[in-house]
Amino acid sequence: MIEAIGVRCLILWEGVFALVSLFLETVYELFLQIFCARLRGRECLLQCYSIAVQSLPVVVFSLTFTSLLMILEFSYHMKMVLRQDSLVPAFSTMLMLRELGPVVTCVLLTSRVGASIAAEIATMKVTEQLDALRQLSLDPIEFLIIPRWIASVLAAVCLSVISIGVAILAGASIASVSLNYPVGQFFNTMFVFARFTDFYDCMIKAAVFGTLIPIIACHHGLRCKLGAQAVGNATTAAVVQGTMCIIGSDFILTYLLYAV
Amino acid sequence: MAIKIVVDLVRETGATILFLLVVIRTVARHGVSMSQVVDQIYVIGFRSLPTTIMAGSFVGAIMAIQINLQLRDFGAQAFLGGLATSVTIRNVGPVLIAFMLSGKVGAYTSAELGTMRVTEQIDAIRCLGTDPIQYIIAPRMIGVVVSSFLLLIIGLMVGIGGGMAVSEYHLGISAQNYIQNIPRLVSWSSVATGIVKSFVFGVLIGAIACYKGYSASEGAAGVGRCVKRTAVETLVSIIVADFAISSVSAFWHELAFS
Repeated sequence: MIEAIGVRCLILWEGVFALVSLFLETVYELFLQIFCARLRGRECLLQCYSIAVQSLPVVVFSLTFTSLLMILEFSYHMKMVLRQDSLVPAFSTMLMLRELGPVVTCVLLTSRVGASIAAEIATMKVTEQLDALRQLSLDPIEFLIIPRWIASVLAAVCLSVISIGVAILAGASIASVSLNYPVGQFFNTMFVFARFTDFYDCMIKAAVFGTLIPIIACHHGLRCKLGAQAVGNATTAAVVQGTMCIIGSDFILTYLLYAV
Repeated sequence: MAIKIVVDLVRETGATILFLLVVIRTVARHGVSMSQVVDQIYVIGFRSLPTTIMAGSFVGAIMAIQINLQLRDFGAQAFLGGLATSVTIRNVGPVLIAFMLSGKVGAYTSAELGTMRVTEQIDAIRCLGTDPIQYIIAPRMIGVVVSSFLLLIIGLMVGIGGGMAVSEYHLGISAQNYIQNIPRLVSWSSVATGIVKSFVFGVLIGAIACYKGYSASEGAAGVGRCVKRTAVETLVSIIVADFAISSVSAFWHELAFS
């Protein structure tokens, strides 16, 4: 029993250690690339297309409808207790900016982008393409991880900003159509509580989550064992740990940004 | 271009529904191996528990904090427990937890089935004279549906606990107050809506993931494509189903209490 717990702790420690050292190596390599001006711009652009642009429709759609649902639901409940819903737009906007915008965007990105990064790199490892890269003296961190990292940070920040904007506009229209809440009043109450600095905080959160997604996915891809089953396991582990790290770091970031 | 998208959408939806019907017919006619179903529930359901608990407590905590902000100005914090629980189980909880589950459960199932399809394991099973739908698909689909349903219910309950913990330690409302309020504001129809939604989302995740995996083609890249398509289609269909069930339940509510 105690032995089993000890073994599990050791495995966990080893995984965390490998993850952190992968992150530090990537940061070091990124600075090296920037100062030596050998950043692979073309590869970065390709990754930006497949990570950010192709995820845009589904992320915007999901987040918009989540925000509509939130506004309708809050107004129903506030009418039930307080007999009025004058504060609903302000608070749903604040909720979108502070929590749901970055978290839901990045959870969706994890299941779409993180899974595909992990599957791709694990397949490369299984089919020995990574060894082939090393033979050509190309470092996988430099060649694979950094373009994905840059693309994913950009994707997380841009997609959360875009989808929050669309969600606020959609919220204003549904409030005026189905709750008889004039659009002007919606934006007035919105600016009572939501400040512009919330926007920066949202971008900081998105950037942190956008860093977590590819690093965790690449970590699991690179550590994948051989065989088709292992690819599936690496993909699942990337999605699970990505989601959990995003939610966990969200609690920490909310505390740091708003409570301190 | 636009017409092609619409046609593709209708065709995919129809094919998924037909596939679901074929699976149901096969199970009704030939039965399914119970031990395999239990196996799948263990593999898919039990290993998703940490994610679900994390997601559920996150949703519950956020809802409690948010509703507390709105109620504070009116001095109506006594209603916090009931309102936060009602919001969580009626609408927001099932959707957000299903988003996270679709990433985990849906991606795993469709990747596994897709790999089986492109490595011709499914054709091999058919060559051996066994129906792949009965042997491979049905246990998986039943496992995914059952475990998503159970996970969503567990997530909602953890959500209530998360809201309670936050209000006790962070908002200064005792857990006793929180719990006492729940039956006053949460009606049976809200609970029923939450349960129906959990079941429908489970069926959607299972049917779409199994269909996409089963119909994967063109090698390893095809598996990646089918995983991505699964994620997109599950998300969109969860939102559509949520709005449909909400309006049906509102209509029924109006009918019953007017």
